[in-house]
Amino acid sequence: MDSLIAAAGRALAVGDALGALDRVALRDDPPALALRGIAMAQLGEYPRARELLRRAARGFGAREALAGARCVVAEAEVALAMRDLGGSPRLLAQAAAALEARDDRANAMQARLIAVRRQLLLGRLDEAAVSLAGLDASGLPPSLAAVAELAAAELALRSLRTVVARAAMERALDAAQRARVPALIAEVAEARAALDRSAARTIHAGHEQPLRLDQVEALLASDALVVDACRRGLRAGDRWQSLARRPVLFALLCALAEGWPGDVERGALIARVFRTQHPDETHRARLRVEIGRLRALIAPLAAVEASTRGFELVPRDGRAVVVLMPPIDGDQASLLALLGDGAAWSTSALALALGDSQRTVQRALVELEAAAQVRSIGHARAQRWLAPPLVGFTTILLLPAALPPE
Amino acid sequence: MSSNDDTTRQVPTRAAEIVREYGPFDGAERIHGVTHDGQRVWAATEANVLAFDPDSGQVVRRLDCAAHAGTAFDGTHLYQIAETRIDKIDPATGAVVASIPAPGNGGDSGLTWAEGSLWVGQYRDRKIHQIDPATGAIVRTIESNRFVTGVTWVDGELWHATWDGDDNELRRIDPDNGAVLERLELPHGIGVSGLESDGADLFYCGGGSSGKVRAVRRPKSATR
Repeated sequence: MDSLIAAAGRALAVGDALGALDRVALRDDPPALALRGIAMAQLGEYPRARELLRRAARGFGAREALAGARCVVAEAEVALAMRDLGGSPRLLAQAAAALEARDDRANAMQARLIAVRRQLLLGRLDEAAVSLAGLDASGLPPSLAAVAELAAAELALRSLRTVVARAAMERALDAAQRARVPALIAEVAEARAALDRSAARTIHAGHEQPLRLDQVEALLASDALVVDACRRGLRAGDRWQSLARRPVLFALLCALAEGWPGDVERGALIARVFRTQHPDETHRARLRVEIGRLRALIAPLAAVEASTRGFELVPRDGRAVVVLMPPIDGDQASLLALLGDGAAWSTSALALALGDSQRTVQRALVELEAAAQVRSIGHARAQRWLAPPLVGFTTILLLPAALPPE
Repeated sequence: MSSNDDTTRQVPTRAAEIVREYGPFDGAERIHGVTHDGQRVWAATEANVLAFDPDSGQVVRRLDCAAHAGTAFDGTHLYQIAETRIDKIDPATGAVVASIPAPGNGGDSGLTWAEGSLWVGQYRDRKIHQIDPATGAIVRTIESNRFVTGVTWVDGELWHATWDGDDNELRRIDPDNGAVLERLELPHGIGVSGLESDGADLFYCGGGSSGKVRAVRRPKSATR
């Protein structure tokens, strides 16, 4: 390393990005490009930062593999912060391997964590769980330990294991405080707040009650038969029957569940499910057909019995019925509730689940995207929609020192 | 460069023998330049220059001054590369008594004093400049074919360190034409950021971000 690179690196290390830029602004050798890239990233100039880091990585070449790999990692982290998830996971994996081979554990871990966070953002929860389980975070800088715990918390939240998530967040907070990175501490605090916010509502015999995530978890683990209007299905203990692709049947089920333990009158069911105030014989016939379909699908969990006025839901094993709703009303809330499972949905699947037209769903998604409440990946037919992470851990940069070995 | 590599393969090559390691020292994350004043070893650590006793390894002095690359000693003053200049420093007080521009304009790495001149390694440009210590004017330039970090003269031999990827070495070169005469290979992954002879049979080597200074045995040369 030469004197100006050392001076600029020192300036960066103490948070003086402009001071670092001053020293290397006019140089185009790979170490200077790398430092300029990192300084730009710290200043929030992400596109420029990526370009500089990419040029630096190319410039280092095969002989300076370590420095090159660090640049690849830094660029991947900037891409993640930009929510550009189109980069090559292979390149990042190669960089991680190169860093491990040269005993740079911290930066190798950084690379692996970026890969996990990318998988989480892409809704590939199973892959993320496997990657995360393979990481050994012991003896690492506290900032990286905090990020690893945040990723674990996110994963646990997505699968509604709030006790595991809370424990991971406590460890993340502890690590963030040891790292003394204010942005990181703020992120962990924000993530913990998600646990205390209202995540859903129950409707039980006409009464509404807001629920936190841990209460949702407790409800799902209870004896109740839960008609889940967030994820569009029916749950009793470990048994889950999805009705996401059967909107009419799900609407029927919801209406019956809201009327439980009483019955629901035919006209009310028709008005709600077929959206008409003027039912005729054909509607009544259609209702019988749909009830028959619903019966067949949910038979292991509940029966639908005819009464003199209409129909009633009768759970097996004497379970109570609870309806779980998104925390607020409206089409957008239903959309967000569906995306809340962390998976990547297509517009057509969402439209199908909600019983709305694709155009209606598309319009709602565009509004939600503008408000940063949903994200999309891919384009045209391959476009998929995701909820933002519960844990917003990708907004800060823990850039590796992309300097030559010295 | 490939033809140069072919010639360098034919020169005597042996493994560098690391005799002793010093540091890491408190508050010093990296070691850049090193020099030797006859008794103590001085090491540049970015925010200061420290001196330690090579027998005990104890730090005996610490000067507060910018120290980003090579260090040299002319018998009276220290010279220290900082950003784009070379500071002349009174080792008793730490005061900068003069400054000259560094020939590499910030691309400078190694520094040594010999025969009334300063010799400056220019890292990625693979050059060693001989400069006038009063003005900084370049007297002449020797080309190497590897990145140049530390530079030192001992018994009429010009040695430089190269930190170029994973495989690093100390090289004795012909000061007239830059031809490689002798090579000491360092263990894989160990680099040398600064180099100074103790005037006898040891080299002191700055260890970059390892924060260490290593003593390496100077081989008995065929020409001596």
